[in-house]
Amino acid sequence: MDAQRLKDNFAAVAGQGDAVALFFYSDLFVRNPHLRDMFPIGMTGQRDKLLRALGQIVSQVDDLPALVPFLRQLGRDHRRFGIVAEHYPNVGASLLATLRHFSGPAWTDDVESDWNAAYSLVAKVMLEAADQDALSSPAWWNGQVVAAERRRFDIAVLRVQPDRPLPYAPGQSVALEVPSRLRHWRYYSMANAPRPDHTIDFHVRLVDGGPVSPVLVRATQPGDRVRMGAPVGTLTLDESSNRDVLLVAGSTGLAPLKAILEQIAGRPVPPRVHLFFGARDRDGLYDLEHLSKLAAELPWLTVVPAVSDEPVQDDSGGHGFSALLRSGGGRGTGHEGPADEGIEHGDLPDVVARRGPWPGHDAYVCGPAAMAEAAVERLAASGVARDRIRLETFADAQR
Amino acid sequence: MNSPNLPVVPDGSRLTPGELQSVVFARAALGRRGYDEDQVRDFLQYVERELVQILNQKAAADEEVNRLRAQAGRGAGGVMAPEDAHFQAVRILSQAQQTADLYVADAERYTRELAHEARLHREAILSDAKGRAEHMLEDAHRKAAEVADAAVRAAPPPVPAAPPAPGAPDEPGDERRRELEREIAYLRTYSEVYRTHLRSYLEALLRNVDEWEGSERESVPGESPGPPLRG
Repeated sequence: MDAQRLKDNFAAVAGQGDAVALFFYSDLFVRNPHLRDMFPIGMTGQRDKLLRALGQIVSQVDDLPALVPFLRQLGRDHRRFGIVAEHYPNVGASLLATLRHFSGPAWTDDVESDWNAAYSLVAKVMLEAADQDALSSPAWWNGQVVAAERRRFDIAVLRVQPDRPLPYAPGQSVALEVPSRLRHWRYYSMANAPRPDHTIDFHVRLVDGGPVSPVLVRATQPGDRVRMGAPVGTLTLDESSNRDVLLVAGSTGLAPLKAILEQIAGRPVPPRVHLFFGARDRDGLYDLEHLSKLAAELPWLTVVPAVSDEPVQDDSGGHGFSALLRSGGGRGTGHEGPADEGIEHGDLPDVVARRGPWPGHDAYVCGPAAMAEAAVERLAASGVARDRIRLETFADAQR
Repeated sequence: MNSPNLPVVPDGSRLTPGELQSVVFARAALGRRGYDEDQVRDFLQYVERELVQILNQKAAADEEVNRLRAQAGRGAGGVMAPEDAHFQAVRILSQAQQTADLYVADAERYTRELAHEARLHREAILSDAKGRAEHMLEDAHRKAAEVADAAVRAAPPPVPAAPPAPGAPDEPGDERRRELEREIAYLRTYSEVYRTHLRSYLEALLRNVDEWEGSERESVPGESPGPPLRG
């Protein structure tokens, strides 16, 4: 197999963009109509994923130590879609037909045999990983929602009981599918350390226009069913470390960090932990009540809530409405506002830096991409070694 | 060998049944044995029949070919190679998929826009509520202060003509009483004005919630039951 020839050929084909993936899936479904049902109606995202995965495979085709782990994960991931060994030759045939079609006169016997060799390897590694995985875990877990709590109009906390134990490390996530949106899988982090009754909490934030999250937030009730794939993710606690810990959570990025916090709480001697929990406004701090309670019970834990888009309250004078409400109508009527105590104002990374410096700490970061990146920079500037920072990477979230 | 008039086949044309019929064989020389004339005739008739049939079939085949050619020329719906048919199917399926993707994308964009508007609406309602509340409080404060001032002004002035002797220590007590009256009047009016405002605002809010509930029920007819997920 001539790796360079393969790469050149793929570059020429992939340059023709979306049409390539469009042709591939149409060819696949014309030859094997029964495979169509394994995919969602809208295929735009699917085509992107295919081209990205192919691109990654081809770019590493001559670097097996890097390629094999990727393929093994890909093979395991495909189990929950119901992909089995007999589907692989169908996919291979359509892939070659597609490449031939878009290569034009550049398609030669040599190129064809390169691709045949490459695809055989890919299929072999993926299938082996899938088969091996099948020895120890099911292709997916069925779960039943046992509690659904709306914390805000667009945030819900769900508790799910899997039909059999679902072992995972705190900080990991699973892909989730709901019956009313079949073939749409979305990743959500487990928000608790494993429990004796195996129940799992998910924090779901509604994404406008998304297919899955609106169903989960607005229309899910106890008794509803979900399917879950195998746990993935590397945002897990470094158990070998005795350093103090920083947890930096933006919005529902809290979920994996809360699981890690529970894991830390199970240690005989927990390190000092600072949990920063940020949102745009006060009612976005959907879990603050519970966290404050935890902080009151656990001497080693400090919780720092922060809001970025609310003006700093002017407590100095006047009788502003909020000031009045918070002070209980001008006189202390026993309605102390504990939620307001110690809420910081500003972007979460700035708040973290303001409370620093943090030399000798391990940091775990999860939240919107822009926030997470900024947090890493500020942490590094505040004395946290970059290799002591773990953050949620969304590469795993690709189907 | 002489073959007097025989199946001569001129270039370009074919032997016809008529030609067969008109073939005349010369008689065999006397004393020479020839073919049995009847047998030859029978055979020729047989050949003739066969030829007629073949030519008829050929004509029908030609006609069919022309018909198909014409059909193929009219529209591309004719017979095509399997490979072409496959590409055709792939092309049609691709177009259908693109149409579906377009509809899905449109629907997504539409929900996003709706949700965005709803969010803006929500924020407007909230800030409006905050504004109203501040306004209520200020209004109540202003009115209460006016009433309190009026109460003080209306109160009978301390009688200066009273016997002065023991009155001197009474003065601060009187002052205090007026102060309290003033505050009571203030608070009474304040709470009254505030209650009135609050009541009308809450009623308006309740109406809003009712409308909201009603319109949501109308807009989502069959969402809630969903298909049962087996057993």
